[in-house]
Amino acid sequence: MQATIEVQELRKQFGQTVAVDGLSFTVRPGQVTGFVGPNGAGKSTTMRMLLGLDAPDSGQALIGGRRYATLRRPLTEVGALLDAAAVHPSRRGRDHLLWLAHSHGFPSTRVDELLERVGLASAGRRRAGSYSLGMRQRLGIAAALLGDPPVLLLDEPVNGLDPEGIRWIRGFLRGLAREGRAVLVSSHLMSELEDSADHLVVVGRGRLIADTSVAELLASASGDRVALRTSARTEAMGLLAREGATVAADGPRSLTVSGLPTERIVALLTAGEVPFSEIGAHRATLEEAYMELTRDAAEFRTVEAHTDTETDTANETEEARS
Amino acid sequence: MTTPTVTPYRSPLPPARDGFPQLLRAEWIKLRTVRRWSLALLATVLVTVAVSVLSAFSGGSDVKGDRPPPPVGPAGAIVSDSFPFVHQKLTGDGSITARVSLLGGREGRPAEAWAKAGVVIKESTKPGSSYAAAMVTPGHGVRLQSDFTRDTAGGAVSRDRPHWLRLTRSGDEFTAYESADGSTWTKVGTTRLAGLPDTAQAGLFVATPGETMVQRQFGSTSVGGRPARVTAAFDRVTVDGGGGTWRQDVVGAVVGANGDPKGTPDSSTEKSGTWTLTGSGDVAPHTPEVDITQQSLSGAQIGLIPLVALSVLFITAEYRRGMILTTLTASPRRGRVLAAKAVVLAGVAFVAGLVAALLSFLVSEPELRDRMPNPLFYPDMALTDGPVLRAVVGTALLLAAVAVLALAVGALLRNTAAAVTLVVVVLVLPLVLLSGLPIGAAHWVMRLTPLAGFAVQRTLPEYEHVDTVCLPEEGCYPQGPWSGISMLCAWALVLLGLAMWRLRRRDA
Repeated sequence: MQATIEVQELRKQFGQTVAVDGLSFTVRPGQVTGFVGPNGAGKSTTMRMLLGLDAPDSGQALIGGRRYATLRRPLTEVGALLDAAAVHPSRRGRDHLLWLAHSHGFPSTRVDELLERVGLASAGRRRAGSYSLGMRQRLGIAAALLGDPPVLLLDEPVNGLDPEGIRWIRGFLRGLAREGRAVLVSSHLMSELEDSADHLVVVGRGRLIADTSVAELLASASGDRVALRTSARTEAMGLLAREGATVAADGPRSLTVSGLPTERIVALLTAGEVPFSEIGAHRATLEEAYMELTRDAAEFRTVEAHTDTETDTANETEEARS
Repeated sequence: MTTPTVTPYRSPLPPARDGFPQLLRAEWIKLRTVRRWSLALLATVLVTVAVSVLSAFSGGSDVKGDRPPPPVGPAGAIVSDSFPFVHQKLTGDGSITARVSLLGGREGRPAEAWAKAGVVIKESTKPGSSYAAAMVTPGHGVRLQSDFTRDTAGGAVSRDRPHWLRLTRSGDEFTAYESADGSTWTKVGTTRLAGLPDTAQAGLFVATPGETMVQRQFGSTSVGGRPARVTAAFDRVTVDGGGGTWRQDVVGAVVGANGDPKGTPDSSTEKSGTWTLTGSGDVAPHTPEVDITQQSLSGAQIGLIPLVALSVLFITAEYRRGMILTTLTASPRRGRVLAAKAVVLAGVAFVAGLVAALLSFLVSEPELRDRMPNPLFYPDMALTDGPVLRAVVGTALLLAAVAVLALAVGALLRNTAAAVTLVVVVLVLPLVLLSGLPIGAAHWVMRLTPLAGFAVQRTLPEYEHVDTVCLPEEGCYPQGPWSGISMLCAWALVLLGLAMWRLRRRDA
């Protein structure tokens, strides 16, 4: 079996709401793929369809080329964490893993091994109801790893973890991907995926917004923009705009300039006797890149509703900027 | 976009198995690892035993009956055997023939449907001794009966015309014949009485079951009874191979303190070859008014409440916590998940039910019998008796079926409170409300609803030739024990099938 997740033209509607609208993407082995979008973008629904819990209205959600429902020994094919709170509060953490392990004929030693691995060795004998959200996330991850599967689907695994836990899970996920597993991690916050995801699938309102590597996304978001600090903001803006640059005010003393190389800006400001203190290439964060992506997507959608001409203009502007 | 070439991950673990046995094991672990659920099972046992014992030790009457010990039939069962007997000695093979010319009840009214008048060959005049008899009944035509429990139907009789009867003995074989005119004879049937001595008593008899009056009102029922009376005239009486002299006796007469028969009008008179017999006792198997074994197991009706709660929670708790998602990802073949849950629940419910029924019977049954006004009229039942064994194992089966039913309802409704309420209302409420329904409607409810399962706790034998008043409030079920429990099992299986179908089709 190929350790991949494939989603093809997937569509799911709940009543009047279209949760997933023609979504297609592929998750490859050996890397952590972030599945990003605001709440309600259709991430969980997509994951539920991948796990055979919801039936797609059309399209396909495949694991290693097969529908989940047709998998034999599914825990050895896919590990999933959907809802960390989904444990019976009266059942001890270890017992929760125990029934799951026995459903696939794994020995109890496998359970203890995993409790150790996720750092719950001592808490395993406590009732799950007494666990913090972070501990439940760890229990859920242990459950996902029981069958040592080549594919992992984790829905918001960072949610509720403390900074130490977040660091732990980032390293953990990267380690799993390095072993050659396909790891799909959803999140509604791009910042949670910083330093762990190699690839991103960005969705909004059930549609694909971007399917890109993290490096490419950062490069395109940074563009050739220049960050500038100046006490004479208005003069600087006027001067640079006359020379054909696009200037945006980030704060009372800072500007982002695009369309002009750094040397030219320095020359212009010096010639115009406009004081400035700092100038350098703008470095976008993943969060910014994401905001830009989703903002464009939002604009795109609102414009689309009116006329196609405006859409074209918007696209041209975007092209001109990049 | 860069896609580095990677070797997909391969697990070093030994291959896993995810067959049905693994699923059963998983569900069993789920059940035993929630402590409250184990407590619910324990409560099922304790409540069942406690309710049974409480009702055994609180009920009964302090008034002790003064009836003498009842006669016991050849099979060892308690019987009614009291009738006026006009008889003579019959040695070896032979036959008795008579014409029954009148059969009526008290003061010119018709006799009871199962009143009997006819010819009999009986071991002795001792109550309970072996016999074979050919008889006419007002409601059920000609019958051949023997040793209280055996009954063969013959032809119909007309009320106003006399009817001929003949009973012949040939070794152990007894054959009954009937005739409308005394010349054309039709065979009714043959019966065997093993070990009847060579010399027996052949003669005439009349007998009748008592009159029963039932008054039902919502919440209260009064059942009244009084001895009925039957009078019959016999003529053309002949005994082939008989001793010749007629003796008049009353078998099983209730004897008062001074040695005189008391209270019974049983008598026989002869006038120019016509014998007139009047009787008020019956020759029939004795059916106790109360099924003591069933009563000793009555706690199961309340004991099933914690079991229903457990069974419903076994599935609804998974929905409430979202754990069903984990369950269904571990086993995407959803029908099997519900099947595994049903098997595990049925298994534990059966064991709990068996323990509860055994304890309830052993503790309550002797006490219940002791507290009856006339304990001797109730058979002393042992655990190894067929009907008792059936009732005890049946109670375990009943709880297993109720558990599966509750699981199915829980899976369909996905709501704990609604499912528990529905199942408890269906199983417990009718026990209260049935007394308010007309008896016909009540019987249909008991036949067709899951309530039918409780019929398996009945142990009283039913005889076609004994009319009983079957009152729901007395725990009588209109159908047999096995057909009752089958109806409950059918309900459980159909609902489980429906739940599986829904689970497979709906999004989780």
